[in-house]
Amino acid sequence: MRRVLAYFGVIVAVIVAVAVTSLRNINRQVAGSDWVNHTHSVILETEALQSDLLIADGASHTFVVTADPRDRASSMNALSNVSEHLALIAALTRNEPAQKAEVAHITSLVEERSDFVRQVLESRRSGNTNAMRSLLAQDAGEPALNDIHRALEKLKNDELGLLTERDTASFLQAQTTRWMVWAGVILDFALLAGAGLLIRDDIAARQSAALSLQTLNNELEAKVKERTAELSSANDRLTSENFERRWANLGLEHQLRYSQLIVNSINDLVLLLTKASNITKINTAVTRTTGWEPYELVDKPFSGFARLTFEGPTPLLNPVAQAMEDGRELRGQNAVVEDKRGRRMPVRMTLFPLRDGDKVVGCVVILMVLGPGEPGSPGLSHQS
Amino acid sequence: MNKHILIVDDEASIVELLGSYLTHAGYRVTGASSRYEAEVISGRDKPDLIITDLQLENSDGLEMISHLKSQLPDTPVILLTGVHFDSKAVHENLAKKVSCYIEKTAPLSRVLEEVRRILGT
Repeated sequence: MRRVLAYFGVIVAVIVAVAVTSLRNINRQVAGSDWVNHTHSVILETEALQSDLLIADGASHTFVVTADPRDRASSMNALSNVSEHLALIAALTRNEPAQKAEVAHITSLVEERSDFVRQVLESRRSGNTNAMRSLLAQDAGEPALNDIHRALEKLKNDELGLLTERDTASFLQAQTTRWMVWAGVILDFALLAGAGLLIRDDIAARQSAALSLQTLNNELEAKVKERTAELSSANDRLTSENFERRWANLGLEHQLRYSQLIVNSINDLVLLLTKASNITKINTAVTRTTGWEPYELVDKPFSGFARLTFEGPTPLLNPVAQAMEDGRELRGQNAVVEDKRGRRMPVRMTLFPLRDGDKVVGCVVILMVLGPGEPGSPGLSHQS
Repeated sequence: MNKHILIVDDEASIVELLGSYLTHAGYRVTGASSRYEAEVISGRDKPDLIITDLQLENSDGLEMISHLKSQLPDTPVILLTGVHFDSKAVHENLAKKVSCYIEKTAPLSRVLEEVRRILGT
């Protein structure tokens, strides 16, 4: 684009240069034409001067012969014209030193001749024949007129030389102008062609860039669509995972509540013990029957809640720990539970080992409260 | 028009979550928390599929299924429950009443798979 602008700048500069040069040459030609007219005027005035001087001189001679006042007037009139022509020639050549000098010389010669003619006319008019004869005798052969004629011819030749010189200069200027205009036009056409090529290349480059941009846009759009699809897919997957996680939690909560419901629906006292015989969980029947809240029993030793009773001697090993150690059930074991108010109640205990794989991790203990006189009751029921 | 699925469960969280999931999958879902509500909805807007829990607050799911089946004999039923059934017992005893039995511990994708299979969508 900058190169195209530079081209157009050069084109405009060439046009301006051609226009300025042409105008200048036209002005010079106009000036030259003025000079030609001026030169022709000088030549015409010179010829007129020569003619009027001859007329004045001839008329004075005729007056000498005829003494006719009309001849004298004719001579005087011609002399008057001569003065005008001289003044005009002096004015036309005042700016040219060479011609000016010539004209000064011619003026001197002409004025001298004019004075001579006036003297002849005056001597004839006054009847001074001797003076008149003397003057005419001095002028025998008309040397003065010949001098004037040569000087005027020289001036004319000089002016004609100048005319030729100025014609040649004018022709050369016209030729230069012609060449300048043609060269400018050809250069401008060449520059326009160059600018056209640049514009064509620029348009092609822009079209190519637009095509590339379109291709890039299409690729970008495809990538955006692909990425959007990936994000949408990821979003769907995350949503599904979220649903699944919440569903699994609900399922677990449901299972837990259902298991709790099962355990709590048992009216016997159910306790979960660790392998070290500490209580970890109780059912609602424990609180309902003994008044002990879960926080009062959890993490406490089972032996603090229920004391095993034996009809015979007390075994050396704790039967609860032994059963868990052996991984076997313990059934029909009598025990006494003391409730929160200190009342003691006989119970029959059953123990089920809690297995996790092949390991015993604790046990479930079920205590069935025995009524008074019920078999197995040690007779200590409901003592305060 | 999207297939209409009626979910019957007395646990609002189950109805809400399962309903959202199936709605997200493109179905029109209505929830009911009781047998009565399920019957009212079925009478007003026949479902294309019923998903019900076994244990309802005021009724037995199986009993409700029997009743709905008498009204909508062609409507398939999925039994969704936390109660673990023996698969053989389900096949022998519930096959005539329900199209499918799914435990609540099964993933939702399994539920959706069965829904799509039964509805042919």
